Amino acid sequence: MKINKTDIHKIEDFLWEIPKAFRPKMRVPARILASEPLLDAIMDDRSLVQLVNVASLPGIKGASLVMPDVHEGYGFPIGGVAATLYPEGAISPGGIGYDINCGVRLLTSNQKIEEIKDKLEGLSKELYAQIPSGMGKGGQIKLSAKEMDEVLFKGAEWAVEKGYGVKEDLDFMESKGRLENADPSMVSDMAKKRGTDQLGTIGSGNHFVEVDYVEEIYEETIAEAYGLSKGQVVVLIHTGSRGLGHQVATDNIRRIMSAMPKYGIEVPDRELACVPFNSEEGQHYFKAMCAAANYAWCNREVISWEARTAWRNIFGPAIEPLKLMYDVAHNITKVETHLVDGKQAQVIVHRKGATRAFGPGFEELPESYKLLGQPVIIPGSMGTCSYVLAGAARSNELTFGSCCHGAGRRLSRTAAKKQVNAPVLKENLKEKGIYVEAGSFKGLAEEAPIAYKDVNIVVETVIDSGIAKKVAKLKPVVVVKG
Amino acid sequence: MKIQYLPHTADIRMKIEGSTLEELFMAGVLGMGNILREGFCDKNGPFVLKSKIELMAQDETCLLIDFLSWVLSTSYSEKAIFCEVVIFELTRKKIRVEIHGKQQAQGFDEEIKAVTYHEADVHKNNNGDWETLIIFDI
Repeated sequence: MKINKTDIHKIEDFLWEIPKAFRPKMRVPARILASEPLLDAIMDDRSLVQLVNVASLPGIKGASLVMPDVHEGYGFPIGGVAATLYPEGAISPGGIGYDINCGVRLLTSNQKIEEIKDKLEGLSKELYAQIPSGMGKGGQIKLSAKEMDEVLFKGAEWAVEKGYGVKEDLDFMESKGRLENADPSMVSDMAKKRGTDQLGTIGSGNHFVEVDYVEEIYEETIAEAYGLSKGQVVVLIHTGSRGLGHQVATDNIRRIMSAMPKYGIEVPDRELACVPFNSEEGQHYFKAMCAAANYAWCNREVISWEARTAWRNIFGPAIEPLKLMYDVAHNITKVETHLVDGKQAQVIVHRKGATRAFGPGFEELPESYKLLGQPVIIPGSMGTCSYVLAGAARSNELTFGSCCHGAGRRLSRTAAKKQVNAPVLKENLKEKGIYVEAGSFKGLAEEAPIAYKDVNIVVETVIDSGIAKKVAKLKPVVVVKG
Repeated sequence: MKIQYLPHTADIRMKIEGSTLEELFMAGVLGMGNILREGFCDKNGPFVLKSKIELMAQDETCLLIDFLSWVLSTSYSEKAIFCEVVIFELTRKKIRVEIHGKQQAQGFDEEIKAVTYHEADVHKNNNGDWETLIIFDI
């Protein structure tokens, strides 16, 4: 299947549509949130073919959607959103991805960048020492079978109960760091085994812990409520459910693929394997996914504890502890209420490389954020910048309350390695005042800034489309990668 | 057997070929082992760590992906890289096999999150060899 520009209709300046009539099996149109130059770039890979495939999912409503940071994935595109009607609409593990509840959180300090400039190199080394990163590196916590089930059931609360977290953090996490439908008995022994020693670890790939400072504030009132001010030092953490989540996805894609004939479901790509949400297999996956999501929130809370330890070791025991601004998931599915065909209805929203971005008035938000919209954290690439946005009401009209999740890859890992000399990159970043600690030069080259789209353009598109407001721009000064 | 790594925006796309189905499965294990740690399978024998499994699937494509997923999970749980395969039985829908590998205390180079079904299609090419693409989620 080939998609030409003439197949794509312009709806608004930042919204494009491939109509339902484009292919017989499409149940809804496919929509792309992008400026025209971004759309042209998106057409370079197979993202839109994958988007069209998603439009054929049983029970899909509205449109299959991609955000401006979209890139080709496997089955679903990365940067995609699909909502199916509750309770019989499809649930597809591929629509969440293998790294269940991969997400990002932002911690704030009360220090200004000028006050800590001379300690950045030491801080980078201390963070690298405290936070296990890279492939195959276990953490300090070894969970017993009982503790594992508690983590899967309680999420971030477990870390707080055991002294690895801060109670006040819980209010500042999406779903308060715990999905109630989690059922540890739905998680395989292999998945649990893989997760035994991975709490508090970031892994490799595009995961990181970063120290940034607030370079610019765009919305003073919202920034103040979020606790952000110009020059302030903050910490970004990006990781997910590690091997446990990968195994939950692998186990369930296999189970669901075998069950599809029972429900008469055929999909154009095996990675779109799906079953009705209310089927036995659908509920098995959903409960296991919720458990893996809880593991991820617990993981990010334990990593925060490690970052807080590094902070104290560098700045002294009297330093004010890092405070959690917010924690968002960008690989997850949730049952939410949205406007569907002119009526409020419950839908199963799949977000794969997309962030929830609810506007003002959302009940779950902490009191101080409730009237302003949910914080949305958009990490860029090392050496560029990241953004804090606030969800806006229009996201509910256009994207089932969703927004982009990052810059989005532009170059393959192989191409990046060919173009980037990692030791030189590390030195160049250091000259720019960015201290990088990485497990390997190979990993560093693969994640070089040139491998990513310009996060500024992605964020401008999101802002211009009205689904979020720009609150603050962050510049990195320390990057710890696996 | 032939193993090639092809471009992909975010993940790893591997093309494997074998003159028999057995050889194709062996190429899959070897190719994945060398992603986990570059060149590991080419020079780190003997591979004394062993693990056995019997798997069934709906067709040869699912069988290969499910088999490689099991090898990957075993790699993580044993902190080892597997490079060799002894196949006792292989049909389109069933495999009974023993894999041989070695523990890797220094960790891996690459974290493969999963072996995906996307683009996988085990078939005979024009030369009469078995081939397929495999996308690894990184």
